Amino acid sequence: MTTLELLAQAVAAGKAKDAKALTQRALDEAIAPTEIVDRTLVPAMTEVGDKFKRSEIFVPEMLIAARAMKEAMELIDPRLAAAGITPKYTAVIGTVQGDLHDIGKNLVATMWRGANFRVIDLGANVPPAKFVAAIQEHRPHLAGLSALLTTTMPAMAETVRAIRANAGVPVKIMIGGAPITQQFCDEIGADGFAPDAGSAVDKARALVESVP
Amino acid sequence: MSVGEVRIRWPDEADAVRLAASAAPGASLADRLARAGRPLNTRCGQRGLCAGCTVELIAGEFRLHDGRVSAAPAAIKACAGDLAPGTPALVAVPPRALVAHRPQVVTTFKVNVSAAHAPIVPVVPGTLDHGLAVDVGTTTVVVALVDLVTGRIVGEQSGFNRQVELGDDVLTRIQRAGDPVQREALRQAVVTRTLGPLVREVGAEAGVAAARIAGAVVAGNTTMLHLLTGTDPSSLGVAPFRPVFTNHRELSAAQLGWDWVGPDTPVHLLPGFSAYVGADLVAGCLCTGLLNDAGPSLLVDIGTNGEILLRHGDRLLATATAAGPAFEGGRLTRGVRAVAGAVAHVAFPPARYPPRLDVIPGAPRVVGLCGSAYVDLLAEGRRTGLLGANGRIDAAGWSAVPAAHRHEDADGRGVCLRARDPATVVTEADIAQLLPAKAAIAAGILTLLRRAGLTPADVGRLYLAGGFGLHLDVPHAIACGLLPGFEPRQIEVVGNTSLGGAWLALVDRTIVPEMAAAAANAEIVELNLEPGFEDTFIDQLTLPPP
Repeated sequence: MTTLELLAQAVAAGKAKDAKALTQRALDEAIAPTEIVDRTLVPAMTEVGDKFKRSEIFVPEMLIAARAMKEAMELIDPRLAAAGITPKYTAVIGTVQGDLHDIGKNLVATMWRGANFRVIDLGANVPPAKFVAAIQEHRPHLAGLSALLTTTMPAMAETVRAIRANAGVPVKIMIGGAPITQQFCDEIGADGFAPDAGSAVDKARALVESVP
Repeated sequence: MSVGEVRIRWPDEADAVRLAASAAPGASLADRLARAGRPLNTRCGQRGLCAGCTVELIAGEFRLHDGRVSAAPAAIKACAGDLAPGTPALVAVPPRALVAHRPQVVTTFKVNVSAAHAPIVPVVPGTLDHGLAVDVGTTTVVVALVDLVTGRIVGEQSGFNRQVELGDDVLTRIQRAGDPVQREALRQAVVTRTLGPLVREVGAEAGVAAARIAGAVVAGNTTMLHLLTGTDPSSLGVAPFRPVFTNHRELSAAQLGWDWVGPDTPVHLLPGFSAYVGADLVAGCLCTGLLNDAGPSLLVDIGTNGEILLRHGDRLLATATAAGPAFEGGRLTRGVRAVAGAVAHVAFPPARYPPRLDVIPGAPRVVGLCGSAYVDLLAEGRRTGLLGANGRIDAAGWSAVPAAHRHEDADGRGVCLRARDPATVVTEADIAQLLPAKAAIAAGILTLLRRAGLTPADVGRLYLAGGFGLHLDVPHAIACGLLPGFEPRQIEVVGNTSLGGAWLALVDRTIVPEMAAAAANAEIVELNLEPGFEDTFIDQLTLPPP
């Protein structure tokens, strides 16, 4: 099996240490970083997402696979940046103000990276003004807002208002998190909602590709 | 009085009694009194940590173990030294310094420390001589009726917190209670519709009229105590999660709207640590004896929020971790609480099928599985090869399941623990709910230990409290990774220590000040801000090798 095939297997099985070592081996073998991403990591994470959608894997396995993917990307990102290569689409993502949970948000961020988005992660407890400033700075195609606490849903609504009013950039806004529903998405005027990290990839693609 | 004569004034004797001369060198006054047949309340093991054995030195001198001398009049800890030899002395022992209650196990909790008989409320035998120990949980409320003359629990009743109808998790209730009308509805749901009926039932069962209730002590999580007092809990719902109060409060029944006891009846709310580590855990750290342990000790209280407390030297670290409702049966195909008809334990014999099931008696048929059964299944499933490290049933595992025990649906595979009985189905999707729940607890424990520079092997004692009651199988809890890296000898299952702590505070008034001191001393750890928590959580998502 080639190094890239082994890497794809390691990511799908969630073997983070192996994924890291194999990525390093691929780089040592002078395989182009873009090729590692496009031919191996993106298909591997797409497969993980598809299996999740078919209920062949569940959240725990997806979290484990995403961590392996993240380990691999941490080696590749600096190479891509040094070569001036940026993915076609950019997203900013963060957990809204008042909420410190970020495991779900981190999973979506990794899934988006695995779908070849450039992702700027603002962390947790992000005030609306920080979302606005990041959107003005990075001019992303997509902004992802996460909330795990029912009690921080109002902060999500507030963030959507602030982005619409102040960012001055036609960014698509996508929301998610345990208490979030499509109805809430419609109420607060977000562009899209995904019930889980698997469908978050499809939704993100659909939103950014809908812009002419 | 002869030279060096020591006399003791006991609470129940008219005249002071002579105490024999000290025997063993290095013995404390507490030792001498114990040898004389009247042990004091040395619940911290004579380590000078508590105030249980404090007595009054009326005349004479008291020499501490470290050589310092206290002269009368003084309040002295009888464990901390002995009376100066050759000097006459008079010591008065107050009732609260005498041991009235030995460590004990009752149906739902275990108290590991001794307690004095000195109720927190005034008692009039025959007319005003009972008290209530109350645990207000998010899901379940328990009321124990206590005879304050003997200190014994004479009745216990539990039921669903009727607030469940207005939102089954804490956050939904916090969200609703931002509105004053809803807040009042929540208050009435717990006071009028939950506590009132429980108090009436427990009184009727024990034949004690409500008029004889002299007072109450309430433990519960911080949100529940806010809602009980009609306090706006909104600030508990968003970071930085600031409670309006966590201090010990003494209120009257009238202030709380408790119209089923006399209006002036005192009600004590126990102190808590923080928004998510509440009075329930403070209660637990007193009644388990954790505060008095020598080695590093852990208290792990498993509920919808797992609360974890680590004592290490003088440090007390506390945290909460979002375990979710899986171990209380929530969101599982056949998950139920530990009710009649629930499967409480599962074990696979050498022949594997059918597995042996322990069912809680009192129901005509099996109604589902409770948390302790799922813990068994995780451990036994892995041991017998049914489940892989990822919690899935692989081809080999599946082929070993007899047809009558197989279950398949849109979400994948599962097993019927009892042949063809749908009430005993466990699916792979259920396992996928249980793994993050156990990983959250395990990662919380490991993160707290790491913060103190410790490993599981360093821990002297891990007290396991909460919804599992006293029935959890400890080896299985370890095997499935809920308590990762521990040995059975380190674990003690203690049940509902929130109620245990409320009882303790009710019968011994020296407990509340110790609770308040512990609460003031604690460091609260926010797991989501701890570097390494997420990585540890993901590490713990698998089942350890058998």
